[in-house]
Amino acid sequence: MDFEYSQEQRMLTDSLRRLVEDNWSRPKRRERQGAGVLNLNAWSSLVELGIGGLLVPEEFGGFGETPATMLAVHQELGRGLVSEPVISSAVIAVTLLANCQNQALKQQWLTAHAEGDAVLAVAWQEQGERDAQRPLCTRATVSKDGYSLEGRKILVWHGAGAQALIVSAVLDGEVALFLVPADTQGVSVQDHPTFDGARAATISLKGVQLTKTQLIASGVAAEQLLTLALDHGIVALCAHACGAMAYLTDSTIQYSKTRKQFGQPLAAFQVLQHRLGDMLIQSEMGLSMTYVATNALGEPDAAKRSRLVSMAKVEVAAAARLVGEMSVQLHGGMGMTDELEVGDYFKRLTYTDMLLGDTNFHLQRMQDLNAA
Amino acid sequence: MDLTWTAEERAFRKEVQDFLKAKLPADLRAKAFAHHRVTREDFVRWHGILTDYGWGAPSWPKEYGGTGWSPLERLIFEIESFKAGAPRLIPFGLSMIGPVLMKYGSQAQKDRFLPRMLRLEDWWCQGYSEPGSGSDLASLKTRAERVGDRYIINGQKTWTTMAHFADWMFCLTRTDTGAKAQRGISMILIDMKQPGVTVRPIKTLDGGADVNEVWLENVEAPLENLVGEENQGWTYAKYLLGHERGGIAGIGHCHRELAILKSLADRTMASGESLSLSSRVRDGINRAEGQLLALEMMVLRVAADQTDPGPKASILKIRGSELQMELARLQMQVAGADAWPYDPEWMFADASYHGPSPEYSPAAAAAYFDMRKTAIYGGTNEVQKGIIAKQIIGV
Repeated sequence: MDFEYSQEQRMLTDSLRRLVEDNWSRPKRRERQGAGVLNLNAWSSLVELGIGGLLVPEEFGGFGETPATMLAVHQELGRGLVSEPVISSAVIAVTLLANCQNQALKQQWLTAHAEGDAVLAVAWQEQGERDAQRPLCTRATVSKDGYSLEGRKILVWHGAGAQALIVSAVLDGEVALFLVPADTQGVSVQDHPTFDGARAATISLKGVQLTKTQLIASGVAAEQLLTLALDHGIVALCAHACGAMAYLTDSTIQYSKTRKQFGQPLAAFQVLQHRLGDMLIQSEMGLSMTYVATNALGEPDAAKRSRLVSMAKVEVAAAARLVGEMSVQLHGGMGMTDELEVGDYFKRLTYTDMLLGDTNFHLQRMQDLNAA
Repeated sequence: MDLTWTAEERAFRKEVQDFLKAKLPADLRAKAFAHHRVTREDFVRWHGILTDYGWGAPSWPKEYGGTGWSPLERLIFEIESFKAGAPRLIPFGLSMIGPVLMKYGSQAQKDRFLPRMLRLEDWWCQGYSEPGSGSDLASLKTRAERVGDRYIINGQKTWTTMAHFADWMFCLTRTDTGAKAQRGISMILIDMKQPGVTVRPIKTLDGGADVNEVWLENVEAPLENLVGEENQGWTYAKYLLGHERGGIAGIGHCHRELAILKSLADRTMASGESLSLSSRVRDGINRAEGQLLALEMMVLRVAADQTDPGPKASILKIRGSELQMELARLQMQVAGADAWPYDPEWMFADASYHGPSPEYSPAAAAAYFDMRKTAIYGGTNEVQKGIIAKQIIGV
């Protein structure tokens, strides 16, 4: 075990921190979020540092990096509240494709992703299904030349900014995953803002005709692929939250040293000192749990991997909540405004629990995997 | 001791329920249950309906046009009103400056201002907090100087709720800079519709803007707008804070939010089953309900006892805010990722579009963010615990 970053990891995270500090400052971040569409310059600047190809295997033009590097990268992205589709596309979609058997799709889309020419989104959630990973209402049927797709997907992370969607559907009673270019006839995308400055789409699929080659996987293989990809996404989300918690804890400590009430800085009050201490405890434990989950991504036993990932999700979500809530409390009225960074971080930390399965979902998954 | 409601109290509750059934407009009720934004006109309309019925000032004595209700009757009214989905009563006149004027105001002030509070003919705001004086309110710096027959006021207020609607502000100002902290403060009534008053809304976490910054630049108030005596403003401010003991727990609000929470859990489906059947979800709701019943009984105990509540007032404030925050969090948990897409525009009832999810969902996260304010305003929960400690330790 070695907790030091390698020279390459150090260079990458240093460059990333500089880029994020320069180009994800609050005004720039806000301006891009306000525009409502994916800013291609911002995306390109991330791709130039290798973020697009980080998890793409070398044979498809990527770096084939380890989960540990992913952890380091996503902490930096979280520090700067980068809301571009790194987790949804460069982690979840790329992991899914990289582990499938469809060579033609891998060649086309992984290469394009590493080059920065394509953003991908995974459309797996449906109305009334909460966080369940099995599709219910989106159906694929075999047609003359391939497949026909009908259904509706919700909460598709950065769905409107994607050139292609990975869609889960029921095919002959089994789960199947398809690659659907966003401009395919019958695909309509309704884009929504989210409370933390990202985007989520509702995607309708009506009579969408696909060729046979657009099937990524079906049956147990499809289920395993989706779970593997989402597990990677969860770990990246946890790392993102850890970066955000570290930044927010630090900036709240700074604020409490300068803000004075009753003739003393806030940091002089013992009750507030203890709150700051609790924030640091939670941040550090959250990060440690994220290390555990990062390590688990290399675990060949999928059930064991998923169980550890669920544990991390639950712990990090709890830590994120405490750090977010306490930061607002320590900033007092100013923490309630839309005028300081603390609110932006609080909101981003709040989605840690919400996305990719909430605490109840992951507690249940742990229980199911214990029993299995 | 008899812990049951008397026949009179039960009859009163029924009367309130019948009134609300008959008189509460459906659109206002719908807004409350959807967490849509309530407009100035909505509040004015509701205050008007209550005043027409003789219930415009539930906490006032009859001589000032109030109902003359007992503290318990007021609480029953508050709880039933919230449960039915009525807008809250705007407190700045009725619960804040109104009672202060009754006790300390001049006859002219009473005659001029009190009658106009019931229908919100004058909209009041509270000029207390300043950028450097939040928890430490007594350090406020806004200055009022006596020049001839008037005060000239200069300073900056902040977190002034609904100042953008206000016609009048009751303002804490420093009239004696030589005196220590609380000593040199006076309460002055300021006409907001005059040159030198600048109101800037502060956008909050939910995208709303109910609070404001207010700049006062050479603003004038005739000497007759001084409340009580000069340099005694802190006494009146403390009287004001202590006046509406029942209100600070937000017990009515909690009742309504619990009802919304249960309804959300019933309606939200997960894999073909109502979420309310999930023991993980249900446990949270049941615990919150128990906490609500305890808080309600605590509020009733304090309301029924007309002696100094001591540390109990702070207990109500702390537990009330904690429960309001918890109920909002549970609603967000029930909404799940459906609460993630959000546009502040979706919070207006007349907006044509309410987002991708069932209508309640966008409001769930917004309310969670917004309810954090309850642990901050009116004296942070840390300050309240300090007050409790001082009283029980006796330092």
